[in-house]
Amino acid sequence: MKENLRRLFDYRELLFNLTRKEVKVKYKNSFLGFVWSLVTPLMMLVVFYVAFGIIFKLRAMDMRYYAFYLMAGILPWNFMAQTLTQGVASVVTNGDLVKKVYFPREVLPLSYLGSSSFHFLLQETMLILFLLVFRVPMTPWIFALPLLVLLEATFIAGLSLLLSSLNVFFRDVQHFTEILLMAWFWMTPVIYPISLIRDNLPAWAAKLYMLNPMAHIILMWQRITYNSPVNGPAAYSMSPEGVLGTVIFSLVLLVLGYVTFCRLEGKFAEFI
Amino acid sequence: MTVREIGIRQVSQAPAIEVEGVSKSFRLYKDVNYTLKERIINFRKRGYDLFWALKGVDLTVYQGETLGIIGPNGSGKSTLLRMMTRIMSPNEGKIHAHGTIAALLELGAGFHPDLTGRENIYLNASILGFKRRELEGIIDSIIDFSELGPFIDNQVKNYSSGMYVRLGFSIAINLNPDILLIDEVLAVGDESFQTKCLNRIARMQQEGKTIVLVTHEANIAASICDRVLWLEKGKEKMLGDSFEVTEHYHEAMRMRPEGSEFGTREIVIDKVEVLNGAGEETTEFETGESIVVRLHYTARKPIEDPVFGFGFYNQMGFMVYGTNTRLRGMDIERVEGSGKMDFCISSLPILDGRYYVSVAAHTRDGMINYHWLDKLSYFDMHSPGKEEGYLAMECDITMTPE
Repeated sequence: MKENLRRLFDYRELLFNLTRKEVKVKYKNSFLGFVWSLVTPLMMLVVFYVAFGIIFKLRAMDMRYYAFYLMAGILPWNFMAQTLTQGVASVVTNGDLVKKVYFPREVLPLSYLGSSSFHFLLQETMLILFLLVFRVPMTPWIFALPLLVLLEATFIAGLSLLLSSLNVFFRDVQHFTEILLMAWFWMTPVIYPISLIRDNLPAWAAKLYMLNPMAHIILMWQRITYNSPVNGPAAYSMSPEGVLGTVIFSLVLLVLGYVTFCRLEGKFAEFI
Repeated sequence: MTVREIGIRQVSQAPAIEVEGVSKSFRLYKDVNYTLKERIINFRKRGYDLFWALKGVDLTVYQGETLGIIGPNGSGKSTLLRMMTRIMSPNEGKIHAHGTIAALLELGAGFHPDLTGRENIYLNASILGFKRRELEGIIDSIIDFSELGPFIDNQVKNYSSGMYVRLGFSIAINLNPDILLIDEVLAVGDESFQTKCLNRIARMQQEGKTIVLVTHEANIAASICDRVLWLEKGKEKMLGDSFEVTEHYHEAMRMRPEGSEFGTREIVIDKVEVLNGAGEETTEFETGESIVVRLHYTARKPIEDPVFGFGFYNQMGFMVYGTNTRLRGMDIERVEGSGKMDFCISSLPILDGRYYVSVAAHTRDGMINYHWLDKLSYFDMHSPGKEEGYLAMECDITMTPE
C-alpha cells in the first residue's frame, strides 16, 4: 500500500500529463471548444426547467430561482456521472497501453477524474458569475466550495477505482453503471427539492433515501451555491451527521477502491 | 539488416536483471466469460486450459551487456520481456531489475492522434516513466533523430506509419534508460533509419547500457548481441555466445517444417512419404527427377465421394503446383478402411530451394476437410545449372548476328 502510493507519487507527472491530454483532446476538433462544457449543462438546465419548472410547476413550491436550484444540483451530478462513466471503462479502453507499457494503472481512472474536475471547476465559476450577475443572494458558505469539490472527488475516485478494476474481469460493470446512474439520478434531489421526499414518504423510506451519499453531496452543493435561507424553506436539510457520514463514507470508499485496484492490477494485462 | 562488428566491451558482473525460476501460466479460455451471467452459468465448469508460457526460467542479465532472446513463435520470449517490464507478474519465481527501464514493446503506444508530435513526446515519455526535466535536454535530439523536421508540430494523426514509428523509436532510445528492452521492433522504418537505429544501439552498448532484445530473426541477434538465450516452449534451450546459439538455432529451424494439421478426421491421413524414382524415402531431389507423394489413409466408416490432393509450396508460402483426384478426372466412389495413394510426377520442373508438401482429403465441393496436413513434409531441390527463379524451362537460344 505504502509502496503503491510512493509509485503513484513517482508517476505524478504522468497523471498530470494524461489529465492535460484529456482536457486538450476533448474539444480539440470542435469549433466551439471549451464552450461545449458550458453548453451541455445549460441545455440540461433548459430541458429540466421547462419540464419541471413550467410544466409540472415545481416552481410553485416556494422555489425561487428554480433555474439556479437546478444548476446547483445538475453540475455536481454531471461531474460525478460523467467521470464515473469514463472512469469505469478507463482501464479497458486503454487496454493497448496497459498491455504494452508498465505504469501504475490507477492513473487511468484518476486522469479522467482530473480532466472532468477541470471542466467542473470551469462550470462552477460560470455559475458563480451568473449568481453575481442575477444578484441571487449568496452566503459565506460559498467559500466552502473547494472543500466540497475535494469531498466529491474523493467519493468519485473511490468508486471509479473500485468499479474500473472490477470491470476488467466482468465487463457487466460498465453496462450496469449506466443503468445505475439513470436510477440514481432520480433517487437524488437534483431536480426536485428534498422536502418533497421528507413530506411525502413515510419516515423509514425517507431515512432509506438519505442513505444515498450522493443525496448528501448534492444537498451540500445546493446549500453553498443556491440555498441561502432567503430562498425559501424548501431545500435546507443538510444535517451535521449527514455531512460527517458522507465524509467518512467517501474516505472509506477511496481506501477500499484503491486497495482493490492495487490487488487486481497485476492481472490486468492478461485479462484485457 | 546490416551485420556489424561490435568491439569487445567490458561487461561487468553486476546484475541488471535477475530472473529466478520464473514460471508464468495463462488461462486459455475456450470462450472467455466476460459477463457475470456467463460466469455464474459456467461457475462449476473450468472453462479454460492452463498454458505454461514459461517454465522455470533462470537468467541473469549483467550490466552493460546486450542479451538477445530468440525462439519460435509461442516460445515465451515476449512474455519474459513483459515480466521484466513488470507489465505482468510471474506465477512463480522472482524478477529483480536494477535501474531505470524503458521498453520498446510497441512503438508509439499511447500516442494520441489529436496531439502534435511534440506534445506526444512529453506524453509518451511520462508514460515510460520519465520526468519533464529529464526531457528538457534531449527533446531536440529526439526530434533530430526522428527526422520529422517541421512535422513535429503537426498532429500525429496526419503522420505516415513510418513517421509514427520513427518518433516512437526516437523517444524510447533517446530517453537514455539504464536498461532498454526491445521487442521485435527493429525491423521498422526504411533501411537508412534501421542503420541509424543500429548505430544508436551500438552507442548505447559503448556507453555501458544494458539491452535486452527479443527477436525471431536470429541474424539480428547474432550481429548485435553478446549473449543469446534460446527459448523453446517456455524453457531455456540454450544460453551462451551469440554466434554459437544462433547457429544451433538456425540448424534446428531448418529441420523443422512449420506445418499444421486440421480437419474432421473422418478420413485420417496417417502418413505422408516423399519418394524418389527408386521408391526410397528422401528429401533431396534434382531438377528433372521423378517424385512420388504417397499418402496412407484410414477411413473408419465409409465415406462417399472423397477427393485426395496435394500441393507443393515454396518457402514464401506460395503454391508452386497443386492438384487432386477430382481435377485429374478420377472419381472415388467411396473409401473404407486403410489404403495408400500415390501421386507420381515423372519429372520435377522446379529449381533450387526448399519446397513444402501439403496433402488433404476433403469432400467433392471442398467445403469439409476430412484431414489436411499443411506443409508437414518437405524436400530440397538441387538443380545442376545456376538458373534463377522457381521453374525449370527448356530454353533454346538462337543468336543471329547481322
